[in-house]
Amino acid sequence: MLEQFRKFGRELFLQGVNSSHSGNISVRMGDRIVITRRGSMLSDLSERDLIETGLEEDDSHIVLASTEVKIHRAIYRATSALAVVHAHPPAAVALSFTGDSIRPIDTEGIYYFKSIPVIATELTVGSDEVAEKLPPVLADYKVALLRGHGSFAVGQMLEEAFQWTSSLEATCRVILFARMLGLEAGEASEEW
Amino acid sequence: MPYNGPMGGWHGKALKVDLTRGTVKGFPLEEELLRDWLGGRGLGVRLLAERGPGIDPLSPENPLIFATGPLTATPVPTAGRFCLVSRSPLTGTVFDSNSGGRFGVKLKRCGVDALMITGRASAPVYLYLTERTAEIRDASDLWGREVPEVTEALREELGGDCSVACIGSAGEKGALLAAVMNDVHRAAARGGLGAVMGSKNLKAVAADGSAEVATADPERLRYIIRESRRWIKANPVTSRGLPLYGTAILVNLLNELGAFPSRNFRHSSFPEAEKISGEVLAETLLIRRKACWGCPIGCARMTRAGGERGEGPEYETIWALGAQCGVSDLEAVARADYLCNKAGLDTISTGSTIGCAMELAEKGLLPGGPRFGSASDMLGCVRAAAEGTGLGRELARGSMRLAEGRGAPGLAMQVKGLELPAYDPRGLQGQGLSFATSNRGGCHLRAYLVGPEVLGIPKLVDRFSTGDKPGLTIFYQHINAAVDSLVLCRFLQFSVSDDHLARFLSAVTGIRFRAADLHRIGERIWNLERSFNLACGIDASQDTLPPRLLREPVEEGPARGRVVLLHEMLPSYYRARGWTQEGVPGGAKLSELGVPRFVS
Repeated sequence: MLEQFRKFGRELFLQGVNSSHSGNISVRMGDRIVITRRGSMLSDLSERDLIETGLEEDDSHIVLASTEVKIHRAIYRATSALAVVHAHPPAAVALSFTGDSIRPIDTEGIYYFKSIPVIATELTVGSDEVAEKLPPVLADYKVALLRGHGSFAVGQMLEEAFQWTSSLEATCRVILFARMLGLEAGEASEEW
Repeated sequence: MPYNGPMGGWHGKALKVDLTRGTVKGFPLEEELLRDWLGGRGLGVRLLAERGPGIDPLSPENPLIFATGPLTATPVPTAGRFCLVSRSPLTGTVFDSNSGGRFGVKLKRCGVDALMITGRASAPVYLYLTERTAEIRDASDLWGREVPEVTEALREELGGDCSVACIGSAGEKGALLAAVMNDVHRAAARGGLGAVMGSKNLKAVAADGSAEVATADPERLRYIIRESRRWIKANPVTSRGLPLYGTAILVNLLNELGAFPSRNFRHSSFPEAEKISGEVLAETLLIRRKACWGCPIGCARMTRAGGERGEGPEYETIWALGAQCGVSDLEAVARADYLCNKAGLDTISTGSTIGCAMELAEKGLLPGGPRFGSASDMLGCVRAAAEGTGLGRELARGSMRLAEGRGAPGLAMQVKGLELPAYDPRGLQGQGLSFATSNRGGCHLRAYLVGPEVLGIPKLVDRFSTGDKPGLTIFYQHINAAVDSLVLCRFLQFSVSDDHLARFLSAVTGIRFRAADLHRIGERIWNLERSFNLACGIDASQDTLPPRLLREPVEEGPARGRVVLLHEMLPSYYRARGWTQEGVPGGAKLSELGVPRFVS
């Protein structure tokens, strides 16, 4: 498991979707979750950065877990996800200020996402409001954005949640480039 | 409240057929029941549960339920299937078996979602159904005849475009490996439900409905289907591998991984696998490919062998009648497959039981029995099992009873009485857990971790790891239970996401379903099945594997030195399910899911 956390933690940094100490990732193992340590450096994780705690119940390890553990738990309770990746992808965060959802315009983005919902909350870090609003959205979407904060992606395994994060940023960059060229792109439209 | 939605998908109606009394009555299906259990497996299991768990599988009281799903007969890809549900005489568990062809479409177009058959006719009968009629008719002249003849005779007699589900000689004789065959070649094969049908003196069901199935939002549905077809086309598994080589594409793939068992699982690969591979089948026996109704994938094979034409053999059949018996003669495997289809025998269980007999014979426990590697011995055994003669009588009762009767129960490669299929779990730990915990016994399709463990769908996981497998197994057990209730083909899931499936269902019914809802429904079905089994006395002690797979390390190949580490996975599996460590769902869990109680 450490190998997986190390691999995708490092990739998130290398791809520029996290700064040195931002983001957190977790996996669910039944009624337990393993989540990165609060303040850990995702590009250089070691065994002590992986914190196991309960999905429903706290134990002593909770003091070591990421600040976002509440959000991860809420996502696992509301969805069938087995892995969650939280990142701060800059292009996606920039676009999150422009609407309530983002509609991909490139082939990869259209292929993977019907749209990317944007959720606005007063407090965006580890708040009850996020824990309430975000998980139901992730029951419907692979990835969602918290306005001005970052992305949460879900999957059956870490690689999948990582992929949605990476693809999200790629598709948002294409929209930004298209807009820089003066094209209208990425606005929400009706979803089927 | 009876279903009376604005929408489409369901008819909100089922038929109850009592063969003892000779009556057919319609009954409404409540809207809540349909929303919670969908159709197919879920609806069937729920209707079975109402009758109670203690019924002898071969008694008149045991219902045999044909159930379609809300998507059946709509343009959704692979929506031509149906599900057969009953208590299995082979395993004693709750059982569902799922089949393609087009019988599901013709049944659904009779204006019913399900058909529940109880009782026992005093003489052989068949059922004839259209959207206007439901008749129990005399089948004396059909009794004793094999599947193709019965199908042809009924089509000739009834004219039109009817589709026939029937039993062959195996079902008539009460073989515990008997299948219900439909459209000549397709099979609701596993669990001996053909014997349940035979025990009712019911030879066939001929369905010839033509009523259209409404969809709530046809325009939206067209859009989602167009999208799904793009995914199917983009994925090489569904656009190239399966269409070109059929399910037998897996032979070489699994063999290379050391997960293609041979000679009764003594080995985890088969040196002669290439000779029975999908590639060789395409070069030698293939006449043309074929698809079930509404399927854009088309994995079925029309073949020619020994001067005969038939359908198959598919991957599991090739393994069971081939590698499991040490046989590398593909033509002999195809002929054995044809024999099974005509008599209505489950090819997996038949081949696996013959492999067991071969090992018993080798160990001197079955003097004069069949020999590993002998195609003629394998064929002879299939014939005997189909005819119910000599050793065939023992074989037709499955490997568990055969091996127990010969004093070596450990040699039966089965779980809960159902023969294991073509995956050596010593090379695929998740598949091992899914075999052990399956509610219908040794079945590959309950969780089907071949996606993540072999094909990398959605992503490749370490096939030897154990920590992640309880979660993945549960994930797939749930979504697959829902898909079996929709009733769609497992292969569609290689290309189409859970979210997409929920969108199909929403567009057809007009009710909003999300992927998470499908998982929840799957969990409900799984817990009901578990509760049913517990009430039948099938408890955690049976969540295990044959001792060979737990204690005898693989001697060669990529899985060398491996056994299934079930003890590492099972406690986490129970805990993750919210069950007790004895594998029992608690009252709170069942209440939360809306599952009726059988056990306190």
